[in-house]
Amino acid sequence: MAIIEVVSLDKIYNDSAVEVTALKNINLSISSGEFTAIVGPSGSGKTTLLNLIGGLDYPTSGKIRVGDVWLNELKGFRLIDFRLHNIGFVFQSYNLIPVLTALENVELIMQLQGVSAKERRKRATELLHRVGLGDRCDSRPSKLSGGQQQRVAVARALASKPKYILADEPTANLDGKSTETLLNVMEELNRDEGVTFIFSTHDQRVINRARRVVLLEDGYINSDTFN
Amino acid sequence: MILSLSWRNIWRNKTRSLVVLSAIALGLWGGVTSMALINGWIKQRTNDIFRNELSHIQIHSPEFLLNEEVDKLFAFDSVQNVLKAIPDIVGYSGRLKLFAMAQSDRANSGMYLLGVNPEDEKNISGIPESIMLGSFLEGSHRIPSLVLGKEAAEELKLVNYEITDKVIECFAERDTTLTKYLSSLSGKQFRSRSALVNELKHSLSNEKHNRWIDAIVDSSARYRLNSAVFFTFQTPQGEMQNAMFRVRGVYRTSNSSFDSRMAFVNINDLASIANIESNHVHEVAVLCSNYENANQIAKSIAEKIGHLEVRSWGQISPEIKFYTAFGDFMGLIYVMIILFALAFGIVNTTMMSVLERYREFGMLMAIGMNRFRVFSMIMLESVLLTFTGGILGLLFSAVFIKIFEISGIDFSVWAEGFEAIGYSPVVYPHITVSNYVVIVLLVILTGILASLWPARKALRLNPMQALRIE
Repeated sequence: MAIIEVVSLDKIYNDSAVEVTALKNINLSISSGEFTAIVGPSGSGKTTLLNLIGGLDYPTSGKIRVGDVWLNELKGFRLIDFRLHNIGFVFQSYNLIPVLTALENVELIMQLQGVSAKERRKRATELLHRVGLGDRCDSRPSKLSGGQQQRVAVARALASKPKYILADEPTANLDGKSTETLLNVMEELNRDEGVTFIFSTHDQRVINRARRVVLLEDGYINSDTFN
Repeated sequence: MILSLSWRNIWRNKTRSLVVLSAIALGLWGGVTSMALINGWIKQRTNDIFRNELSHIQIHSPEFLLNEEVDKLFAFDSVQNVLKAIPDIVGYSGRLKLFAMAQSDRANSGMYLLGVNPEDEKNISGIPESIMLGSFLEGSHRIPSLVLGKEAAEELKLVNYEITDKVIECFAERDTTLTKYLSSLSGKQFRSRSALVNELKHSLSNEKHNRWIDAIVDSSARYRLNSAVFFTFQTPQGEMQNAMFRVRGVYRTSNSSFDSRMAFVNINDLASIANIESNHVHEVAVLCSNYENANQIAKSIAEKIGHLEVRSWGQISPEIKFYTAFGDFMGLIYVMIILFALAFGIVNTTMMSVLERYREFGMLMAIGMNRFRVFSMIMLESVLLTFTGGILGLLFSAVFIKIFEISGIDFSVWAEGFEAIGYSPVVYPHITVSNYVVIVLLVILTGILASLWPARKALRLNPMQALRIE
């Protein structure tokens, strides 16, 4: 059974005088353990689709099912709580909290979940080791490179034991070496632990490593290819 | 971790936070010190009133209270037996109280003549300790002794003023031209304060006159102890009686008005002269171990001696209760005004901190931090900032108050003004633990209120849009 089911999804923005159709009749099914890239030119609707799958926005019409929950029907605290326990996020500009150490950044989400201090410290340490930053637990983000910060962000996303991780342009701010390291880490996590990754990207290096590529153009799915 | 995160967030911009912390600390220091000064003045005034004027409880015949008629006396013995049996009573003193016209060789004035037992009075009153010259009704004399207040002595012109070498010496190091001028007046005597003041006024500049006049007058005063003063008063039999007393002591309290209208003599002398039966009094003044219990003790005394009016200080002078409550209230108003002004700075700092972190709040909301937690975090930051500044301010205040609680702050420059309204020019700041608790609560409340607007701003964020903000 698919972990994510998107059915006849439309998203139209009415914020300005001009009505903008960002997504039109999207049907998409993503299974557990996928390593999927959503690609397309700027304005094609990649981030909009990711936001909808991430429960950060509501569709104009259509439905999104995650597991056995219809995401589009959740509101307020229930939606926030759903995100907390089911979805991991990796952002383009890392968005780590500068006053916390790498370890504390990873621990924060577990604290929100109510995990005990001992357990969250143990898991955060393990995750940082897993992404190759076991020796940087006590470093603040300002002391880490962009690539290292993004790996901390991946560890943070994993900390909540989510059903899937959404990564919006995760390599956009990274150099080639850092991108390579990050992709290796994510690929290993996907291969060895079955973590589901969904990226929005137009970085060819990411596209080359993805096992499924969904191409969006003008809000439509132009192609859906499995490598 | 939220607490730790909030604390660290405060220090993201150290300079900004330190400026606000300093403002809060200094503001509170000012507010709390003002509060302590007001409390100190009131406490001192209240203590002076209890020790010198009212005591904690007074007992009178109900008819005496109506018109203070001389014949409304009662037997002291019966009351004494009741008072002896109450352990919370520190001391008591029976008094005769007559209104009299006093006449010296140079002037006359109306005042109360209080007949007291000196030994009993020492247990309950501060007057024996306030003797500035002579003694408080000590020894036995053919012509009965009289103790006058400083003001009364001046009104009766029982003071000569003389610029002696000692007076000149006092000013030698302070002002050379003044010293020269005073030397020219050496040995000259003035029969009244106004004569000396006028002499100095003609010869000194306004600035020097205003600055030094009180000090010169006080140091050149020579009280004429042993002068005779005649008192005319009514006896209980309705006859006018004249009696001569000799001034053997001069006292000075912080209340110049009290000093001008209360003269003390021995109760036995007065009873004999006024033809009052021995052991009969107009008033019994009682001092308790704690002024707060006075009301309870007064009730207990009243139950045992039903025919007399027993009043606690709160009934005799309800304004004292008002002073105390008003002092606390005024102090709190000061602190509240200061905190209100500081709140704008705290709002500004918290708001800047929130605006700079829009994207971070967007991320936190996206990963699952609910609005209540975001609100709590911002509120905690504001409260921690205010609380830290508040605690620093309270520490400064506590140290300042502790130092001056013992040594006092001297406002002698305005001594005359203070004494005219019954306050001592040396104030001992005082603050209670409950005052501190209320201030801490106000500080926390300010922190919470100051966080509401910035927190509301953050709560209205859409995480998706906030994440796009560069």
